[in-house]
Amino acid sequence: MLLAACGSDSKSTTPAASGSGSSSTASSGLKVGLAYDIGGRGDKSFNDAAAAGLDAAKAKYNLAPGDVKELEAAQGEAEADKEARLTQLADNGYTTIIAVGFAYSNAIKAVVPKYPNIKFAIIDDNAVQSPNLADLTFAEEQGSFLVGAIAALKSTKHHVGFIGGVNVALIQKFQAGFDAGAKAADPQVKIEDKYLTTPPDFGGFNDATKGETAANGIYDAGADVIFAAAGGSGSGVFKAAKAKGAKAIGTDSDQYQSAAADVKSVIISSMLKRVDVAVGTFIDSVKAGTFKAGNTVFDLKSGGVDFSTSGGQIDDIKAKIDAFKKQIIDGTITVPTKP
Amino acid sequence: MTTSTVAETAAPAPRRFSRTSPSLLLVVAMGAFLVLSAVRTFTGGYDLTSSGTVAAGLSAAVPIGLAGLGGLWAERSGVVNIGLEGMMILGTWGCGFLGYNHGPWAGLLFGTLLGAAGGLIHAIATVTFGVDHIISGVAINIIAPGLALYLTKVTFAHYEGGGQKQSPPINDAKAITLPFSHWLHTIEDKHWFAVSDLAGLIGGVTTRLSLVTLLAVLVLVGSGWILWRTAFGLRLRSCGEAPYAAESLGVNVYKYKYIAVVVSGAMAGLGGSALAISAHQFRDGQTGGRGFIGLAALIFGNWRPGSLAAGAGLFGYTDAIQLRSSAAVHALLLLMAIALALIAVWQWRTGQRTIAVVALVIAVLSVLWFADTKKVPDELVGTTPYVVTILVLALASQRLRMPKADGKVYRRGEGH
Repeated sequence: MLLAACGSDSKSTTPAASGSGSSSTASSGLKVGLAYDIGGRGDKSFNDAAAAGLDAAKAKYNLAPGDVKELEAAQGEAEADKEARLTQLADNGYTTIIAVGFAYSNAIKAVVPKYPNIKFAIIDDNAVQSPNLADLTFAEEQGSFLVGAIAALKSTKHHVGFIGGVNVALIQKFQAGFDAGAKAADPQVKIEDKYLTTPPDFGGFNDATKGETAANGIYDAGADVIFAAAGGSGSGVFKAAKAKGAKAIGTDSDQYQSAAADVKSVIISSMLKRVDVAVGTFIDSVKAGTFKAGNTVFDLKSGGVDFSTSGGQIDDIKAKIDAFKKQIIDGTITVPTKP
Repeated sequence: MTTSTVAETAAPAPRRFSRTSPSLLLVVAMGAFLVLSAVRTFTGGYDLTSSGTVAAGLSAAVPIGLAGLGGLWAERSGVVNIGLEGMMILGTWGCGFLGYNHGPWAGLLFGTLLGAAGGLIHAIATVTFGVDHIISGVAINIIAPGLALYLTKVTFAHYEGGGQKQSPPINDAKAITLPFSHWLHTIEDKHWFAVSDLAGLIGGVTTRLSLVTLLAVLVLVGSGWILWRTAFGLRLRSCGEAPYAAESLGVNVYKYKYIAVVVSGAMAGLGGSALAISAHQFRDGQTGGRGFIGLAALIFGNWRPGSLAAGAGLFGYTDAIQLRSSAAVHALLLLMAIALALIAVWQWRTGQRTIAVVALVIAVLSVLWFADTKKVPDELVGTTPYVVTILVLALASQRLRMPKADGKVYRRGEGH
């Protein structure tokens, strides 16, 4: 509720701000609005990746502060709040609007037809089709396939685990890819799959203690590498891995770089999901007048998903993983999207 | 649940206390343990009694139990505190603020103080100004997360390793491992009936036991002792039962309510700090309703420290099971059926026939479900702690009696 108050507060100040920046608006022609998912800028994961893409565009096109507006979602907010956020951006003259996260699906459906001259994009969702909407999705299963192979090749017990934050279709793509990759690299591998919460409880993306308990359970069951596709809960998985002397794999950004110093040694790789690339590509396309409506999939081929090698713990198997990568790109391997 | 329940329960209440003698409790505990090992052996759901489950369940129960304990202090003095969740959030933030560079204990202390400050606000509103307890509590639950988020943006966002929604990492509190726990793990892995289960239970408590957990247990026992074994506690509880009678005997009711509500906030703050330490950092939204679950444990625990701890423990244990292993959740169906069947027998004997029948029907359905399936669907696994805790506690405790003047506004000299 307090956040909603902040939102309406900024609404009243926005016209003044955009007024002062009107000269630069004329020069760049871009006015970018970005609506974050729960967590917002500073979550060190999904939203920060979107913010990085926005920051890069800001620098590239020399956007003035008034040309960019970022709004955050609140935990447990109503559908109407999401609609209001997008409407607010559109009404305040932002002509390039990005909704970060599948949670905006219904809100986008309601708002997009009302503003035919504004270009919208939604990340991680392909449910709504409109001539002025770009649906930006990722082939998470392809990146997850590669880290699945990494996990299986690095497991000395032929036993690996997957922890998903919330049991939704998006995270099931991670699981499907991971399971397939692990089996491709080691046909005898045993896989433990676990989701921390089930909708409507989205707390599984934000509860490190749950992540730690689940990871301990999987390590105790005999696994020695776990892929954590669980947002903020991942730090609990790394903590458990450290205590058990086991290994873990991160998600979205290169978590070896952002994790606490004492758990860096357990993170052997991360499944990279380049939300920044998607955001940047969309802004570029609007700027250049090459906007493309409908679904764009960011996959291995376009560099939208990948795996990280920071820490040097997978250098010995990198050639094998690159071989899998090549086979996925040239179509020899088709990765399933459902477990 | 107020007047009619009170009238019904007035007579049988004393009998209940005489029943819970230490020897009976011991017999019940031993019986429960044997049932547990039997189910574990029969189903192969090793996580039912593994040391990992016990340890995880214990640490999950600590924040919930401390929140419930906070509720106990406030409600025993006659002030309903549904602001526990908000006070817990203040505690998590405070722990992050001092914890990241001064260590977990400084964080714990500051988190507790911030929780107490939340309690003080609630006390000023409800005791001095006579604001409705629920309204004040709801206000605290709304203000606290916003305040914590604002403070995070002006502090942690500028720190190395912090962010706009989270604090930099907090170091772990010291954990103790007793020397023999290594042998216990060896015995546990043999999966012998009863012996391995006992090793698992003891091993879970003696391996990497956080000192924060130990502190929580001491606080629980200490609270029970103060509230029920000292003159101070008697006066405090009298404020919750009959404030005007207490007033007529010279008790300063305002003072006791103030102390109780501030301590209540401190307990919730301590619970929040314990949570932040076990999660290694403050995160926006990390309490996830644990304050409310603590409140539920308090109510189902009949406003008594022992039963409230049992409720929190049951929730923590079942939550740990569902997070660790889906196979053990399936085994839990059978365990729950046996527990409900026993409750049915006991309720039938005490004359609560309807409850007995309900418990028995659910028990039979659970057995059928267990026999007919290999695993519980993933979509339902996450609900395990809620379902089990509510079923067991609701069907076992039918004579709930809240403090008589709980939630009522007290004004000095207005008794009739």
